[in-house]
Amino acid sequence: MATIVESKELVETVIASLVAGVGITAVFSVAIWGGARFADLSRDGRPLAAGAVAALGALALATTVVAVVFGIVVMTSK
Amino acid sequence: MVIVVGTALAFDFTNGFHDTANVVATSISTGAARPQVAIGIASLLNFVGAFISISVAATVAKDVVDASVITPTIVFAGLVGAIAWNLITWWFGLPSSSSHALIGGVVGSAVAAAGLDAVLAEGLVGKVLIPAVIAPLLAFLVAGLGIGFAYWIVGRQRPGPVTRGFRYGQVVSGGLLALAHGTNDAQKTMGVITLALIANGTLSANADPPVWVIVSAATAIALGTYIGGWRIIRTTGSRIIKMDAAQGFSAQGAGAAVILASTHFGFPLSTTHVINGGVMGAGAGKRVSAVRWGVAGNIVAAWLLTLPAAAAIGAAVYGVTRIFGTGALGPVLVTLMALGLIAAAFARRSQQGAPVPAG
Repeated sequence: MATIVESKELVETVIASLVAGVGITAVFSVAIWGGARFADLSRDGRPLAAGAVAALGALALATTVVAVVFGIVVMTSK
Repeated sequence: MVIVVGTALAFDFTNGFHDTANVVATSISTGAARPQVAIGIASLLNFVGAFISISVAATVAKDVVDASVITPTIVFAGLVGAIAWNLITWWFGLPSSSSHALIGGVVGSAVAAAGLDAVLAEGLVGKVLIPAVIAPLLAFLVAGLGIGFAYWIVGRQRPGPVTRGFRYGQVVSGGLLALAHGTNDAQKTMGVITLALIANGTLSANADPPVWVIVSAATAIALGTYIGGWRIIRTTGSRIIKMDAAQGFSAQGAGAAVILASTHFGFPLSTTHVINGGVMGAGAGKRVSAVRWGVAGNIVAAWLLTLPAAAAIGAAVYGVTRIFGTGALGPVLVTLMALGLIAAAFARRSQQGAPVPAG
């Protein structure tokens, strides 16, 4: 039984690591993409598009922060 | 018991000295943080991390060896085996695993003292050996996938803002990795001290680590982190691959995710294994040939040697200690001999010149 429980825990560890590690890197990359595109579009005189990518970047940054905090809270909840 | 606790804290110090530099290596090598700043933050977060969980301490104290046959002398010998292996790998600049050195040392001395029955095979395999294999591979996979997504998303943008963004991100990912390291690694020392206290009859069999154990372990690993590790920073941060900031972020994010998730379930991982797996994954995710596989191979060899080598040293130290009986004389003499050897090693090192700082 102990082995079964540990196998389940190992699988959960793998899934949590993949979701958190890959997910946060991808979402944070979107935040950086938003910031970089905002600067380019602003310089090109396209304020609407710049605002849209800035909003997307800000949302991605907020998601990153929430995911990190959520991860720490879950980790410390046991 | 005083000698055992002191030795455990000395191990914790060498753990920080040896291991935690790996946590900051990626930040330093990508230019995300200056070495002293990165190490200062890592020390602080290692200290904080030690307080946020005791699952790993419980595993080390209760699931690896049979506490009913353990004596303080066995714990002492295991600790000396782990410290010796840490210092040997530090001497040669190889990232080993302090965690597995500790477990190997304790298992080796327990087997020397009480035979194979002293080992809880299910716990050792299920909670230490299998995660030890899976964790670096998982970090490799997570970092490789992460950097693949990152390049796909930001690949066509100007490099300046992208690099700056990921460098800012590395402040957080490096901090998370230090926090993760503190919570997983400091707990191993807490677990061993708790095991010794149980063996001594000071604590009951199912007791958790007392607050003074947690505070002292947190302090020792934080001090070790602050003081040491330059040679190993160089190995991890620049010799395995030349990293950009996105790779550094991906490697650190992967390492933090794997360690935090594993800590939640009480798996005593090696941060060194995980971060090196992440670094290699981030390198291979960009270009497989970017990874210096020769250096990576040396590191893997050191990983494979850690458990048996530390176990052998732990067993040998137990044998030497028992020559002087079951009292405090053996541990005192072994401690004096070990201190003499360490002093001689450091004296020789200082004659040869200081370790090479991170490049």
